[in-house]
Amino acid sequence: MNPIEDIIKHKEVIVCAGSGGVGKTTIAASIALRAALQGKKVAVLTIDPARRLASSLGLKELSNHPVKVSRRKFTAAGLDPIGELHAMMLDTKTTFDEVVLQYAPTRAQAERIIANRFYHNISSTLSGTQEYMAMEKLYELHSSGDYDVLVVDTPPTRNALDFLDSPRRLTDFFESRMLRWFLIPYMKAGGGIMRAANVAANTFLRLVKRMVGGEVLQDTAEFFGNLEGMYDGFKERALQVAALLRSDATSFVVVTSPSDESVGEATYFGSRLNESGLPFGALVVNRVHPKLGEGIQVVKARHLESLKKGGSDARLLAALLENEAAFMRVVRLEEDNLTALARKIPRHRWVRVPYLEREAVDFPGLVAISEQMFPSG
Amino acid sequence: MLLDDFFSPRILVIAGKGGVGKTTVSAALALVAARRGRKVCVAEIDRKGTLPRLFGGGTLGYQPSELSPGVWGMNVIVEEALAEYLKVQYHLNRISRMFTSPQFVDYITTAAPGLKDILVLGKIWYLEQGRSAGGQVQDFDTIIVDAQAGGHMLTFLSAPMGLADAVQVGPLRRQSEWIIDMLRDRERTRVHMVTLAEEMPVQETVETSDALRARVGLVPGVAFANAVYTSHHHSQGSLERFRPEELDAGVLKQEAKAAGFRLEDDDITALIGYAGFFKARSAIQRRHLAGLRRNIEEPVIELPFLFSAGLALPDIERLADEIEVRVADI
Repeated sequence: MNPIEDIIKHKEVIVCAGSGGVGKTTIAASIALRAALQGKKVAVLTIDPARRLASSLGLKELSNHPVKVSRRKFTAAGLDPIGELHAMMLDTKTTFDEVVLQYAPTRAQAERIIANRFYHNISSTLSGTQEYMAMEKLYELHSSGDYDVLVVDTPPTRNALDFLDSPRRLTDFFESRMLRWFLIPYMKAGGGIMRAANVAANTFLRLVKRMVGGEVLQDTAEFFGNLEGMYDGFKERALQVAALLRSDATSFVVVTSPSDESVGEATYFGSRLNESGLPFGALVVNRVHPKLGEGIQVVKARHLESLKKGGSDARLLAALLENEAAFMRVVRLEEDNLTALARKIPRHRWVRVPYLEREAVDFPGLVAISEQMFPSG
Repeated sequence: MLLDDFFSPRILVIAGKGGVGKTTVSAALALVAARRGRKVCVAEIDRKGTLPRLFGGGTLGYQPSELSPGVWGMNVIVEEALAEYLKVQYHLNRISRMFTSPQFVDYITTAAPGLKDILVLGKIWYLEQGRSAGGQVQDFDTIIVDAQAGGHMLTFLSAPMGLADAVQVGPLRRQSEWIIDMLRDRERTRVHMVTLAEEMPVQETVETSDALRARVGLVPGVAFANAVYTSHHHSQGSLERFRPEELDAGVLKQEAKAAGFRLEDDDITALIGYAGFFKARSAIQRRHLAGLRRNIEEPVIELPFLFSAGLALPDIERLADEIEVRVADI
């Protein structure tokens, strides 16, 4: 049985992960489409979809909440969904604001945090924030109980593993003993550099001030001051998110292409999931060149040479043969990479998706990919 | 264009979306430069990239190391760049370990967005100037910057402007200005883009081309369209006009027989199938390439798909050959 059919049937959270450029978003959307056809109420959380795919799913504006894909899209594609497909595009900053609003003891404190320049920088530039907010949104949608299945795409990091470490990275950053140790005396001293209280702290404060200016210290001190009393909430939340990802309700789908680089990443990612106690569910090998036949063995170089000297039919045959040989070469090299992969991840956990003769950048394209993934109809 | 003109700016920044083959193109350009007797350094930006694997293994450190004759590689690690900066600028040696901990780096680069990029670009500036704190001085003729993916790259290149605006005085402001001068001077720096002939990468390349002008104030060099399914060297090109429905299997079998081998029905099916696949995929690529050419002013250099599933040095050599020919054509 297709391992993803099984996942759709039994899991509530499906996380699609993989390195950049392997077609993760498309695969996530195809899985969600399948779930809707199977009668589930499903939401797919995308991070950075292709523009045509986004508009095809009705994701014209950044609402940061799932929007239902109209039935007409399905009927136009000759499909009859028993369930519902909802889609959303993640807005990191808005998600972060929502979290702050939820956890700050008072509305005023939340607003002070949201207005802070250092907070603004965290939500836009600190690496790991986008990954964490994707998980945060996932957790929120899951807790709402509004959907049977959630499918989440992960940010296009160069390294597929980044998002595994992101919640910890962010909470560590908030909790950073070093920063609090240095900044708390600064805050207590009312923003002045304390005299000889702590040599290292003073060196720190002076250096930061000289490098990037005193305002930055002011912003940071304010930020950490306002965050005081919220660390536990954040940490608790991060633990809950982590617990959901580790639970029976969740399954990870690793997406790869058959290139050696991508296969290497997928293998490593699979083992990292294992080590982290995260439930690996299935591997999607996307964009596999189709294998047509076993390769034409009888043709020798001299045959090609003589064809190329012949008439137009002979020259056409030479071109066809060279073309077939070139694709068979790719097919064989991809097979070598996949054989190595099969030693790490058994083939019964795989779903292979061939490179199609069309692009999956609109709804019908998505349907075509989905039909390849789930051929049973 | 003469190859010597192509390599006349000392710094070549290679920009593009994740997964389009920036490292591959960087490596191929490095080979082209090295073939012309230049000493080249490919700088990966804060990541363990695949560059050394293309040259047979190893890992890159902050100190450049030679990957193949004339081609050097390095990883511009932000922590190390910060340590070097603090050493040069503030003479901080003894306690600099604290200041180069990941937490401090996260803090300071979050507190002053753009600082990370300034540190990295500052290191490139050092390289360009032939300077280094401690370590031996390397005099590179060509420095190829294998830049971050997409939007990050724009933030990366526009960071000095942002920081120069935000920080009114002090060494950082002065340094930002030096870097801006370096980036905007076409005699010193040229930004080339890499894309695939696919929807999203093309769209992003068009946006990058516009944004480089608007946000960074520089005019990009060329756009390399990577992994294009056809090549002028290859007889496959003639298949673009091929119509499978007009094909007569009997004729093909006869031609094979005349040339001295035998084709079975299954073989014919495979030949037609792959021809159809090639035709369909290259039509998609042609459409995107046309869109790319319509929407950017920069010359587009097509690089062939190498019918491989993972690249090694011989493939990079082939791409280098292609680049030599095609740069001469523009």
